[in-house]
Amino acid sequence: MKNSRKTLMYTSIVIMMAIWGFIAIEKGTDLFKGLDLYIFILIVVLGTIAFVRALKRDKEEKEGLPAEDELSNLIKYKAGYLTYMTSMYMWLFIFIFKDKFPNVESMLGGGILLSALIFFITKVSIKKKFNEK
Amino acid sequence: MKNRIKELRARDNLTQLDLAKKVDVRRETIVFLEKGKYNPSLKLAYDIAQVFKLNIEEVFIFAGD
Repeated sequence: MKNSRKTLMYTSIVIMMAIWGFIAIEKGTDLFKGLDLYIFILIVVLGTIAFVRALKRDKEEKEGLPAEDELSNLIKYKAGYLTYMTSMYMWLFIFIFKDKFPNVESMLGGGILLSALIFFITKVSIKKKFNEK
Repeated sequence: MKNRIKELRARDNLTQLDLAKKVDVRRETIVFLEKGKYNPSLKLAYDIAQVFKLNIEEVFIFAGD
């Protein structure tokens, strides 16, 4: 892994922890209640997945393999397109049921995190079913 | 499109990782190619053929042939 990417990875982790520390201090025990709890869990899950993937890529790059190639880019583009289409419907539903959210921040934050989750699930699903036969 | 990558790899005693390094792709791409699940770009097909010192049509077999 190039040093710049490694620095970016560690900086992201430190910033994320700092933000969560700030939110935890501000909200106290309210952070672990209701919708905020689910958002917190989603962030931890997605953050962990991203971290594990970064470590895996680091190992592969040390072995002399590229981080991306034509197949991984193709899968990424397909997943991106499907995520975009799915997210449009998701945002429509979010706005229809906007009264169910405690505040605007939870609604927007939850929507953005769900988009990330949809992208991850779509990517895994495309990779599993990928067949150009 | 079928291919002889697995057979040629065995002939040259190359692992999937060795071939992936030689043609600068991820090992996963070689796995997908060997299973016939992915049709490579012309450049990748050429690079793979070059590794085995063959022409593209000797490595990749088009369905119509």
